[in-house]
Amino acid sequence: MDPLILVALVIALALFFDFTNGFHDTANAMATPIATGALKPKVAVAIAAVLNLVGAFLSTEVAKTISGGLIKEGDDGVQITPVLILAGLIGAIVWNLVTWLLGLPSSSSHALFGGLIGATIVGAGLAAIDGSVLVSKILIPAVLAPLTAGVVSFLATKIAFAITRKRERDGFKKGQIFTSSLVSLAHGTNDAQKTMGVITLTLIAAGFQEPGSGPEFWVITSCAIAIAAGTYSGGWRIIRTMGRGITEVEPAQGFAAEAATTATILASSHLGFALSTTQVASGSVIGTGIGRKGASVRWRTAGRIGLGWLITIPAAGAVGALAAFIASFGTWGIIIDVALAVTAITGIFLWSRRSQVDHRNLHQPEPGVFVRPKRRKARR
Amino acid sequence: MIEWGSFVAVFLASLVSACVAVTLFSLGLRLADGAARWRRPVSVLMFALCGLAVLFGLYVIVGDHLITIFTR
Repeated sequence: MDPLILVALVIALALFFDFTNGFHDTANAMATPIATGALKPKVAVAIAAVLNLVGAFLSTEVAKTISGGLIKEGDDGVQITPVLILAGLIGAIVWNLVTWLLGLPSSSSHALFGGLIGATIVGAGLAAIDGSVLVSKILIPAVLAPLTAGVVSFLATKIAFAITRKRERDGFKKGQIFTSSLVSLAHGTNDAQKTMGVITLTLIAAGFQEPGSGPEFWVITSCAIAIAAGTYSGGWRIIRTMGRGITEVEPAQGFAAEAATTATILASSHLGFALSTTQVASGSVIGTGIGRKGASVRWRTAGRIGLGWLITIPAAGAVGALAAFIASFGTWGIIIDVALAVTAITGIFLWSRRSQVDHRNLHQPEPGVFVRPKRRKARR
Repeated sequence: MIEWGSFVAVFLASLVSACVAVTLFSLGLRLADGAARWRRPVSVLMFALCGLAVLFGLYVIVGDHLITIFTR
């Protein structure tokens, strides 16, 4: 196949992955402000989209390896080819759309890693995967992220409820706007970079760009627009799960959870222990549910989310491996891969229309609904 | 190998910063609700301190990037 057409296909799929990353992760920042009524749904996703767009332009450090060291890339290891990247992206996109359809907040980074691992195993063998990196950078942080955020969020919720009285707690809605905005900005600076890295390394691998050079301006712009457009399109199913499915969130809890999410993400990205934004945000919501007296956590939903995290890498990997196997038959294999990917994406979108979820059927509380003055018992 | 030292640092930094921000904002709300004259300025001070914490968060996210852009 003509290298230019192959690179164009990889870029198109990478940008579509960036789009799915955006709508998959809108919930991380905006599920709780929407659930408490701090922000109207469309306003919330518009703020998140703008901050993701700004964040994408602020990033200067593009990932030097696509897989973050999981796959032994470079001179000593496997030379990742555009075909393997294409197969990995198909795995990541299909799994991201399946979890979106099910309303499960799963990590887009894990889906990308899983897709690339599966494609690499088929294309270069199991020895190309660095198992110690898989354990230390993916599996253990996947357990620690929700635990850390959950404990922090639990304590923050206790503090918020201990200090304030019932009638004062509507004020937390204003605070939620700032904390959720910080989460959106941090998301833009981190997640758009992954796609920039994928596109840049594809261009280098195909000989269209100098080795060691940074992303072109058009790459930065297109990735920023793709993640912002994805964020604006909502991902309402996941917003519904995180905002209402795990626990009922009140403004004080929303503020505490967002503060915990923001603090954990910022600390993790600046102290050298990377944690998934999605897993941190989900852990915070569970923590705040346990932290409020009288609130209950729907452990069945939390369990489904945990199961989604467990199978994200194997499932995306299986799709990536299948795509790499088909692509190994040459040009026709790649054409069949792309055709199957388009069919799967279209099928999932059509299936989702059977039970449409958007901003109009998200339940939003009326202003002041959380602040019910205590009724005095009537004297006999 | 997993870097447990970094993890403990992340955990403690997250715990302290989130709890400080929530405490300041909660105190701001609590002190705004009352008749005594001293409460309002102290409430504003608490919100301002919480605002500083948010600005620090903003600096942590974009500070390095802005420094890189302006020193190019």
